[in-house]
Amino acid sequence: MADKKKVLVIGGGFSGLTAAVETAEAGSDVVIVEKTAFLGGRVAQLNKYFPKLCPPNCGLEINFKRIKNNADITIYTLAEVESISGQEGNFNVTVKLHPRFVNDKCTACNACNEVCPVEMPNEFNYGLDKTKAAYINHNQTFPFTYVIDGKHCKGKACAKCVEVCKYDAIDLDMKPETVSLNVAAIVLATGWESYDISKLDNLGGGRIKNVITNMQMERLASQNGPTGGKILRPSDGKEPKNIAFVQCAGSRDENHLPYCSYICCMASLKQATYLREQYPDSKVSIFYIDMRTPGRYEQFYWKVKDDPGVTLTKGKVAKITEDTKTGDVELVVEDVLANNRITEKYDMVVLAAGMVPSTKDSKIPGEISYTHEGFVVPAFLKKGMFAVGSLKSPVDVARSVQDATGVAIKTIQSSRR
Amino acid sequence: MADATVVKPDLDFVKGVIAAGGESLKKCYQCATCTVVCNVTPDKNPFPRKEMLWAQWGLKEKFQGNPDVWLCHQCNDCTAYCPRGAKPGEVLGAIRKQTIKQYSAPGALVDIVNKKALMPLIFIIPAVLLAVLLSAAGTFKIHEGDVIFSKFASTHFLQFVFTPVLLFGIAVGVMGMRKFWADMKQTNKVYSGDLMASVTATLKDIAGHKKFKECDVSADRFTSHFLVFYGFVAAAIATAIGVLYIDILGLESPFRIGYGTPVKIFGNIGAIGIIVGVILMMSNRFKNAEKLGVGSYFDWLLLSIIAIVGISGFLAQLLRMVSVAPIAYPVYFIHLVFVFSLFLYLPFSKLAHMFYRGAAICFNKYSGREVK
Repeated sequence: MADKKKVLVIGGGFSGLTAAVETAEAGSDVVIVEKTAFLGGRVAQLNKYFPKLCPPNCGLEINFKRIKNNADITIYTLAEVESISGQEGNFNVTVKLHPRFVNDKCTACNACNEVCPVEMPNEFNYGLDKTKAAYINHNQTFPFTYVIDGKHCKGKACAKCVEVCKYDAIDLDMKPETVSLNVAAIVLATGWESYDISKLDNLGGGRIKNVITNMQMERLASQNGPTGGKILRPSDGKEPKNIAFVQCAGSRDENHLPYCSYICCMASLKQATYLREQYPDSKVSIFYIDMRTPGRYEQFYWKVKDDPGVTLTKGKVAKITEDTKTGDVELVVEDVLANNRITEKYDMVVLAAGMVPSTKDSKIPGEISYTHEGFVVPAFLKKGMFAVGSLKSPVDVARSVQDATGVAIKTIQSSRR
Repeated sequence: MADATVVKPDLDFVKGVIAAGGESLKKCYQCATCTVVCNVTPDKNPFPRKEMLWAQWGLKEKFQGNPDVWLCHQCNDCTAYCPRGAKPGEVLGAIRKQTIKQYSAPGALVDIVNKKALMPLIFIIPAVLLAVLLSAAGTFKIHEGDVIFSKFASTHFLQFVFTPVLLFGIAVGVMGMRKFWADMKQTNKVYSGDLMASVTATLKDIAGHKKFKECDVSADRFTSHFLVFYGFVAAAIATAIGVLYIDILGLESPFRIGYGTPVKIFGNIGAIGIIVGVILMMSNRFKNAEKLGVGSYFDWLLLSIIAIVGISGFLAQLLRMVSVAPIAYPVYFIHLVFVFSLFLYLPFSKLAHMFYRGAAICFNKYSGREVK
C-alpha cells in the first residue's frame, strides 16, 4: 500500500474541520491551516442553529475532540497560505505562521489577560465590545491557548504578561516562520464574511448604533457574547422590546450582492425566537421581499409566523435614520400588500446582512477560477483541489457539513491515486 | 368562485411600454425599494412599485386616470437604488408616453412623433408647408442687402401661420387634459375639491420647481429644467411685447430696432436659458448613463427639437447682425420649421407633459392626497 499521503485543509471553520476529521479518520495525514488564532470559524460565533435551536458548541466540541484524539492531524493557527504549486499527488505549499507569542505551556489561567493594559475592538464579537491584547475568544475555544495580538501589543516595553505568567508560556520574541508542505490534495474551506453594511448608505451605512447585523445579534444572544447572552441594544444598554429585521440587506441586489444569501430568512426567524423568548412582551417585525425558507425549513417559518408577537411584512426597507435624541431607529418601507408607505420607529434594527465568500477580497494563491461575486468555481479547480461549503455558494451549516463529508471521500481518493 | 379576479393582460400595451424605453420592465421583482427612496410619492398608494406590476401584467386599464405616473418627475432615485436594474424611472417615462398617445388625437400626428421611421416627417411637413406658404407670399428667397427677417417672413405672416398652430397644439393638449381629469376623478372616486386653490398651488409648485428640488441622484435637473422652462417664458414674453407694439399700439416692429429694448433683452435671455438648459439636460443624461441609461427616442426627440430651436434662433440673430444673407435666411427658415414642429407636436411629443403632469399635480392636491 502507498504511503499515507498528506492532505491540506485551508480554513478551520466547520466545513474545514469536518473535511479534516473525516479524511484523517480514514487514515490520511491532515494539516489544517487557520488564519485566525482559534478554530471554529463562524459557527463558534453563533448562539443557536436553526431549525432545532440547539447550541453550536455541541457540534464543535465533538469535532474538537475528534481532532484532539487524532495524532494524524496537525494544526497551524495564525497561518496563511502564501503559495501553492504542483499538481495532484505533489503539491508544494508554503505557509506563513504569524507568532502567537504564547507557547504550549499555557494553561489558560487568564493572568496575562488580567494585567494586559491594552484594549482593542473584539473582532469575535464584531466590535460590540473590547478585548485585551492577551486573550482567548471564548471559554470553550480550541486551541485552548491564549494569544497575544501582535498589532496591538506594546511588546517588550510593557511585558507585564511575561512577569505574571507562572508557566513561562509567553515569549514576546517569537518571530514569523514559513513552513513548506508537500501534500497530495488540498481542500479549500476559507468560508465567508458578513457583508459590509457601511456600503448600504440608505440603511444607515453602519453609522447608526442601534442598527446591528444578524451576526452581531448572534453575539448579543450568546452566553459567551459581550452581554453574557442578554440582548441589550448597543447605544445605551436598554432592553429592546420593539425590534425590526430588515431582510436582504445587501443580498439580491445588483448594487451589492447579486444573489440570495440563502440563510438570512431562517437566521432572522431564528433570532426572532431569541427575542420573543427573552422578552415575552417584545414585538418583532420582519420586513422581507420574499421569505425564503427552503425545503423543510418551511415548518420553522410557520412556527414563528404563528407567534402573535411576530409580524411579517412584505416590503424592502430602503431608508433607515436615527433619532439621535433617543437612539431609536426609524425606518421607511412600503407595506406592499396594503400598498402603503409606512414610517416606523424601533428600539433596535437588525440587518440581515448577506454572505460574502472570503475569496471575494482575499484570493487563495494559485490558479483558481472565481465567479465575479468571488465564489470558487469547483468545476475549474485543478485536479486534487476541492472547495467546500460557503466558498462555492451561500449555504447553511448543515449543508456545509454534508458537503465537507462528501468532499472528504473525493480528497481521500485523490490523495491515494 | 364568486370573488375571483380575472386578470386581462393587454400584451400590446406591455410591448408598447417595452418599445418606448421600458425594456427593463420585466426585471422588477416587486421589492418596493423604489417607492421608499422616491421623494415625490405620496405615502398612500405610493408609486412606482404598483405601476411596475401593472405594466408587467399588461393591466392597461389601471393606468386610465392614474395621476401617479405623472406625479413622477423621473428623478431616478428609484432607478439608482433598484436592486434589479429594472429602472422604474425609465419605465414610468415609457408609460407616460403611452398615456399621451391614449389621450391625444389625431392618431396620425401621434404616430409621427412615436415611430422612429416617421421621424423625417416631423420636419418635412412643416418645411414643405412653410416653403409653400412663403412662396405664395413671394418672400421665399435670399434677399439682397441688410438681413431683415421680416422681408423673408413678415410679422403678419408669422402671426397668420404660427398662431393657429400653437392654438391647435394647446387645444389638443387641453382636450386631452380634460379627458385625463375626468378619468382621474372617476377612477379615484373624487367628485369634489377646491379646484381654484389646487390650481393656484400647482402653479406655485411649477413656478418654483418644487418637486425637482426633492430629487437626490439627479438634483442637477432642477437647474436645467428651470433654465429651459424660464427660457421659454422669456421668449413668450418677448413675443407678447412684439404683439403689443405692433398689433395693439400700432408701433414699428420692435424686433428690428436696437439691442437694449425689452424685446431683445427677453428674447436673448430666453434663448440663452433654452440653449444652456437643454445642453445641461443632454449632458446630465450622459453623466448618469451608466446606471440610468441615456433615455429613450421620445426623450431625445424633444431635447433635439428644443436644442435646434434655441440654437438656430440665436444663430439667426448673429448672422443678421453680421449680415451674411446666404446663410442667415436658411438658418432662419430652419428656426421657423422647428418652432412650427414644437407647436404642432406640443400635445403629442414629450412636451405634452405640461398638460398631464400639471393636471396630475393639481388632482393630487384637489383630491387631498398630498399630505406634505
